[in-house]
Amino acid sequence: MNKTAITATPPAPAVAPEKTTATDPLLANLPLLALKAIASLRVTVVLFALSLILVYYGTWVQKEMGIWTAVDKYFRSAIVFIPIRVLSMYTLDVPGAVPYPGGWLLGGLLLGNLLAAHAVRFKLSWKRSGIFLIHAGIIVMMLGELVTGMFSIEGHMRLRDGEAVNYVNNNRVLELAITRPIDAKTDDTVVIPGRILRKGGNIQHDDLPFDVMVERYMVNSALIEVDPKGKAKNPDNKGIGQELIAKEKPEAAGIDGDDEDHAAAYLKLKEKGTGKDLGTYLVSVVLLRPQDVKVGDKIYQIALRFKRIYRPYTLHLINMRHDKYLGTNTPKNFSSLVRLVDPERGEDREVLISMNDPLRHRGETFYQSSMERSDTPQWTQLAVVRNPGWLMPYFSCAMVAIGMLIHFGLHLVAFLGKALR
Amino acid sequence: MSMKILRQVLPWTVIALGAIYFLVVVYRAGSPPQPKSTEFNLVSFASLPVVDRGRVQPIDSVARVNLLILSNRQDFVEEKDGPKRRAIEWLVDTLVGQGHKYPIFRIENDQILNTMKLPFRTNFLRYSWDEIKEHEKWIFEEADRADHIPKKDRSAYDVKIMELATHIQIYRKLVAGMAPLVVPPIHGREDWLSIRAANDDSHPLADVWFGMLSAYLKEDVRQFNKSVKEYRGFLAEKMPDELSAVSFESFFNRLEPFNKCMHMYITVFALAVIGWIPFGWSKELRKAAFGLAVATLVLHTSALVMRMMIQGRPPVTNLYSSAVFIGWGCVVVGLVLEWIYKNGLGSVVAAVLGGLTLEVAHHLAQSGDTLEMMQAVLDTNFWLATHVTIVTFGYVATFVAGFIGILYILLGVGTPLLDAELKQALNKMIYGVICFATLLSFTGTVLGGIWADQSWGRFWGWDPKENGALMIVIWNALVLHARWGGLVKHRGVAVLAVGGNIITAWSWFGVNMLGVGLHSYGFIPGAVLWMFIFVASQLLVIAIGLMPEQLWWSNSAAKLAPVPAFKPPRL
Repeated sequence: MNKTAITATPPAPAVAPEKTTATDPLLANLPLLALKAIASLRVTVVLFALSLILVYYGTWVQKEMGIWTAVDKYFRSAIVFIPIRVLSMYTLDVPGAVPYPGGWLLGGLLLGNLLAAHAVRFKLSWKRSGIFLIHAGIIVMMLGELVTGMFSIEGHMRLRDGEAVNYVNNNRVLELAITRPIDAKTDDTVVIPGRILRKGGNIQHDDLPFDVMVERYMVNSALIEVDPKGKAKNPDNKGIGQELIAKEKPEAAGIDGDDEDHAAAYLKLKEKGTGKDLGTYLVSVVLLRPQDVKVGDKIYQIALRFKRIYRPYTLHLINMRHDKYLGTNTPKNFSSLVRLVDPERGEDREVLISMNDPLRHRGETFYQSSMERSDTPQWTQLAVVRNPGWLMPYFSCAMVAIGMLIHFGLHLVAFLGKALR
Repeated sequence: MSMKILRQVLPWTVIALGAIYFLVVVYRAGSPPQPKSTEFNLVSFASLPVVDRGRVQPIDSVARVNLLILSNRQDFVEEKDGPKRRAIEWLVDTLVGQGHKYPIFRIENDQILNTMKLPFRTNFLRYSWDEIKEHEKWIFEEADRADHIPKKDRSAYDVKIMELATHIQIYRKLVAGMAPLVVPPIHGREDWLSIRAANDDSHPLADVWFGMLSAYLKEDVRQFNKSVKEYRGFLAEKMPDELSAVSFESFFNRLEPFNKCMHMYITVFALAVIGWIPFGWSKELRKAAFGLAVATLVLHTSALVMRMMIQGRPPVTNLYSSAVFIGWGCVVVGLVLEWIYKNGLGSVVAAVLGGLTLEVAHHLAQSGDTLEMMQAVLDTNFWLATHVTIVTFGYVATFVAGFIGILYILLGVGTPLLDAELKQALNKMIYGVICFATLLSFTGTVLGGIWADQSWGRFWGWDPKENGALMIVIWNALVLHARWGGLVKHRGVAVLAVGGNIITAWSWFGVNMLGVGLHSYGFIPGAVLWMFIFVASQLLVIAIGLMPEQLWWSNSAAKLAPVPAFKPPRL
């Protein structure tokens, strides 16, 4: 309607000047006005305030949940439901939660605000070059965190003295491995992902001679020895469960430092077809050896373990050291001497991995992360990280720092010039 | 004419007095009064090198640190209100088994005192080994019980009984000759040995130490002084470097430079505040305050450098040193502002923040050796020098901006002094300092990320300390953007700057109070209360700052008298 009206009266602006000036430019300018609204500094300040609050509660919540759970829920999410007990900093213990914008939403909005601001407000000039550099650096940093959140893989490698390992454990994914050794070199393995165990119920697999019934799954647990006189003894158990009991623990909180979750489960195995009870087994990630299950004349081995990602190279642990300060138990340094063998690349070299001194190989980095706490440690653990975005913060930092130096530096020179005159 | 000369002379007199004080304390620490031949030469004994908590140090430091842990003081008394005695006297008495009578165990929990049937000694709260030894078994049983309770469920009583048990262990190790390690790695040994271990080993130097201590026990002054002298001569030949290093630390201990700085900052504060009162001499007083503050800064800086030399590390290695360093930085920034504006405000900023942070440091020091060794992860001078130092400077700048914000509000509400010109000046100060704060806290935080990437393979992990640093960056960015957008004006910027104090305190201490992480190198339960008080005080200032401007004294005063009584110098 409007369109026809306007085209019908183009040569007579004097007739309907109000109409054209009131609607036409407004309509045409609507996107610009919207952009200006999005670009407003008011929006920036509000988003900063919201981010500040998110970071604050994302810190507090680490009192009750693991750091990675907190990161997933608060910072790598669009919406987070913040429980009232967290909002009250653990002074009110009432149920209920308040929805709040998560890190990805706030980050996205800040990015939109920033880009809009540059689209409408900033003109490139020497005076403004610092700001451009700062903002560009911040964009790189936010994208870096996005890339890290989406693509980085964190795992670990645990090596015992003299051992050679060719796989990386994924820190955050568990699996139940049921293995049937065929000969000295080959195994036949069925892997049940941890999230299926966590759901519980009865798990069936065609290649298995038995069904796995999850009696109990624990995200975190402590294994304690069975007291022979105590009532906690469970005579139904087979395997290690006759000697140890898993006691459920809440998920390790982020503020507890390096405490990690030790998942465990009680599994009831039933022979396929006959439904014969093969016993209840206790499995846990802290158990280093798999347990034998005898079905007929065949032996199967079961173990709850971190998901293994196999690598075309091997690390052999030659030795490890745990140095302490004179006459104290304060650790001074941890280090592991390993031999890296990569047949595809023909590499075979010795590497000393220590605190602040990692090994980088094929896009992955191996850091000394922990070691058994004893004078003669039995194992060492390397953190293994692949992060395609690892360089982005370096660029970002340089850009922002230079940008700030330029921007504030120009102001400071002008100010001092005036003040000291 | 003579008045004019007096005006010129006054500031210089004050500065000269400050400098004389400075020289006197250095001289007295450098050449302590030599004991008479009839007295034990404990000054010489005090600077013998020993090893405790992993580092070579003068035995005097061991005495001070242990006494500080047990008693919360670096000196002791034989009875309440008795004369103060030196830590080294307590240590040597303890080493020879005579320390049981001194009231040095600080017990402040009334429940513990009640069970042990000990009186509550108001304003003293210290008890001797003789008084508590019969309860030792009970104390350890209770501590063992408390140890089995999860950390977050422990009551104050549980925490204190565990603390007392730890203190008794420390004391017992000293009495048993198991600490410190006094026998140096000479005569083919690699490690330092305790008296007891050296004795079990039939180490020749064990006899030397037994000789010194038994002479002391028998009050044979001549023999004691002779043995100490001979032993020092022996060390000077065998390990001259260690001996001169610990002598230097002994000198530092005697100097107690941060205490001296504290006294001087109080004087600076008094001079600068009196200098605000509009009367004929205010300008001279402000000059004197500035000069004295510069002199104090020289001492403060030397003390920092001495600590760095003793430790062989960049300035910030633990919570204590961060407080000392933050104080130093605040003084530097305050004095730069004073140099630019010359209105007495910068000196007040310097004196108050310098004094307060040294007070905080004094309390933090009570957890033990402030020159302690670094945990493995933190054992890198490069990152300590860059990330830690820059982040700490970010704290400094945010605190300084916040403190100027407080001045703005309090001067405006409570005095008639805040006229348009001063408003402008204070705002420029806040703005400039926040710009620095943003630059430093951002760069420092990102450098921390790079360190983390280098050592653990992740740039950013959302760990509490990292989040605290990020919050400072976001806050400063918020203030700057709010100002650029015209959302806040003079008053708003001042109020927001005070908010920065809360955020910085949270990042500095609050996250350590949440629990124990890699970064949480200094948790003190009593600090929670102080944190709470600090936050409450800042919120109060913010609330005052948000009062309608008609209620501000400065505003009503401006209406009544168009010519303000106080005029800061023009820019």
